[in-house]
Amino acid sequence: MARDPLADPGPLIRRIYAYVAYRVGEGAEAEDLTSETFERALRYRGSYDPRRGEPVAWLIGIARRCIEGARLRPEPVATAKETADPLDVEGSTIERLTLAQAVERLDERDRELIALRYGSDLSARQIAEVLDLRTNAVEVALHRALARLRKLLEGEEPAQSDMRLRERPSTL
Amino acid sequence: MRGFFRSRDEGLDLERELRASRPQPRDEFVQMVEGRVRETPSRATRGGFRIAFVGAITACMLFALAAVGGLGQAASAVGDVAVTAQRIVNTQGPTIVKKSSAASQYGKPTKKKIKKKVKAKKKVKAKRQVRRAGRPRFTG
Repeated sequence: MARDPLADPGPLIRRIYAYVAYRVGEGAEAEDLTSETFERALRYRGSYDPRRGEPVAWLIGIARRCIEGARLRPEPVATAKETADPLDVEGSTIERLTLAQAVERLDERDRELIALRYGSDLSARQIAEVLDLRTNAVEVALHRALARLRKLLEGEEPAQSDMRLRERPSTL
Repeated sequence: MRGFFRSRDEGLDLERELRASRPQPRDEFVQMVEGRVRETPSRATRGGFRIAFVGAITACMLFALAAVGGLGQAASAVGDVAVTAQRIVNTQGPTIVKKSSAASQYGKPTKKKIKKKVKAKKKVKAKRQVRRAGRPRFTG
């Protein structure tokens, strides 16, 4: 008999929310997407296969699809915070960035890795399974993402070499 | 790489910082989603309950039948039905048993026996003719 992936939902909700919040920012949108993730999980509960990974990895897969879906949908009413380009907002280098703001300034791929590692607390091996990559590649990419985040926190712009790396998704 | 360790030495333990400042959902939100998940029973649970229910009903019926000898009755009824059906289906005549004690004693005669019988019959016939020839004619 298949194991119920939502047998203990409390910790899973917190992990999925943390992942989503790292991806899209904290607040109502993160809550909506977390809720949507669990709605879909309830609908497809029977399709969960424990041999293919832990429940959290399965839910992360659903959450990623929800985020992609939300990106494709037209935004209803945009607030000033949502419309502002993070790069424009950080025009003044004097202001020290908070950690959350720094994460928001990272590119999509780095933010995803940070969200998977420190938001949903997945191991490098689990991240590799979710992203269909090698564990070694994930570790290297995570290390680079952290280095870029540190530079942002220190008030430096990521180096050109880092930017070039960010443009190449294969190297992460 | 060196820069990474230098940063750590400077006290900026980014990984610890990231874990500590992990976004936390509101408790009400967690309770709401948790309630939604818990109020929707999984298919596996429902399936298990169904199987257990059917099993219990079957066991109860078996016990009830066994208590009144229903099982034996049912078995004999099935046997009777089988015999009747066999009778209906079987349209051939009675089967002749060829190898039996009677057949071994009084089975088909051999050629020798047949010759003897024929000779004996001829003798009887000849005697009758002689008897007829030696007797005077009946005149009334």
